[in-house]
Amino acid sequence: MNLSDSKKKLALAGVICGLVAACLAYFGNPANMAFCIACFIRDTAGALGMHSTETVQYARPEIIGLVLGSFIISVATKEYRSMAGSSPMVRFVLGMILAIGSLVFLGCPLRMIIRMSAGDLNAWVALIGFVLGVGTGVIALKKGFSLGRAHAANRMNGYVLPVLMAGILVLALATTLLKSSESGPGSMHAPIALALIGGLIFGAVAQKSRMCFAGSIRDVILMRNFDLLTIIGGFFVVMLLFNIATGRFTAAFDTPGVIAHSEHLWNILGMYAVGFAAVLAGGCPLRQLILAGQGSSDSAVTVLGMFAGAALSHNFGLAASGTALNAETQEIVEGSVPVYGKAAVIICIVVCFAIAFLNKRKEGK
Amino acid sequence: MREKELRLVVTFHTTADAMAMEKACQAQNVPGRLIPVPRSISAGCGLAWCAPLTEEESLRAVMEERGIGPEGLHECLVRV
Repeated sequence: MNLSDSKKKLALAGVICGLVAACLAYFGNPANMAFCIACFIRDTAGALGMHSTETVQYARPEIIGLVLGSFIISVATKEYRSMAGSSPMVRFVLGMILAIGSLVFLGCPLRMIIRMSAGDLNAWVALIGFVLGVGTGVIALKKGFSLGRAHAANRMNGYVLPVLMAGILVLALATTLLKSSESGPGSMHAPIALALIGGLIFGAVAQKSRMCFAGSIRDVILMRNFDLLTIIGGFFVVMLLFNIATGRFTAAFDTPGVIAHSEHLWNILGMYAVGFAAVLAGGCPLRQLILAGQGSSDSAVTVLGMFAGAALSHNFGLAASGTALNAETQEIVEGSVPVYGKAAVIICIVVCFAIAFLNKRKEGK
Repeated sequence: MREKELRLVVTFHTTADAMAMEKACQAQNVPGRLIPVPRSISAGCGLAWCAPLTEEESLRAVMEERGIGPEGLHECLVRV
């Protein structure tokens, strides 16, 4: 089925992904974190022992499903292309920035939309930063930014990440090697089979529709093209209806328990870094997983960068904390961004500028 | 809804090449515009240059002069 030859079909793709996310939220994923790439990569990194924050360790089948869903559908429809060689180490750094920026805001662009649909006003504030970040990336594109072209690579290269993901699934199902949280967000999850099927469907639909949060805004700014934004619109509407119908919609800033904070400047700057890095890397965190599944080793390296960035965020205390309710005193404890997290975001933005304006297209190449 | 018409769509290896193409065509008054690469051509999410079918020669001349290597030239139905 062609999901991209009309706006209606693109909106339908968003609706399908929205239904998957709503289903996973209903069956146990954390509040407002129905489907978050950065959070779920962070949890999976924790499960693998890459960081030791005990509340966020769980091999999320959604991440595995996304990569495998994209891989299977692209092979089945003969769109799988093993490509590599476009500045891999720069992309690794951009992957780290995607994760660090996201964990300061507490969510990737996908979760930002989910939080927006649940009335979290902090996410609407962060949207400003995300749009500005994408806009800055577009300026870099107009100034000739390029990481160079990818070349066709041995088919085996593109198989590596899907096989690694399948390996994590086997470890999760057949062994006790992986860490698993007993409390906190990592302990809250939908049943494994449901999460895996959800990831597979989401991955396949995202591959067919080219769903991308950074790309959607890039296309509007650059070409006044609203195709990709239509998908996000469909996704948002489903999640909004789900949140209203299940009583999860609360229009407020300091809502305890939804894993969000109200440090507006850092919400904006965190997502600014993410939007900027996503345009430079050629896609948001979700899109990187999908591109990796359809054979891009460059995106696979970006995904590894996200794993490293997520682990670093927790090992060095860069990740923000969410507003919570003190169970004993019943007082609201405001979430915040640690000072090292703030410093990391500033460094990430500086690095984005350096990458954006030091990597130029060479004339005649 | 806008009608779809057959157009010449030039795809590139990098987004930067597409941006360079836009700049070059605007400088030389060659008609056309940037569009997302049509889904029927690629699963990628890059940019392409879309122009009337009659402009193939002038497009090739611009690319030759500016050293822009196309990934491919396609005839494709595009909303105009």
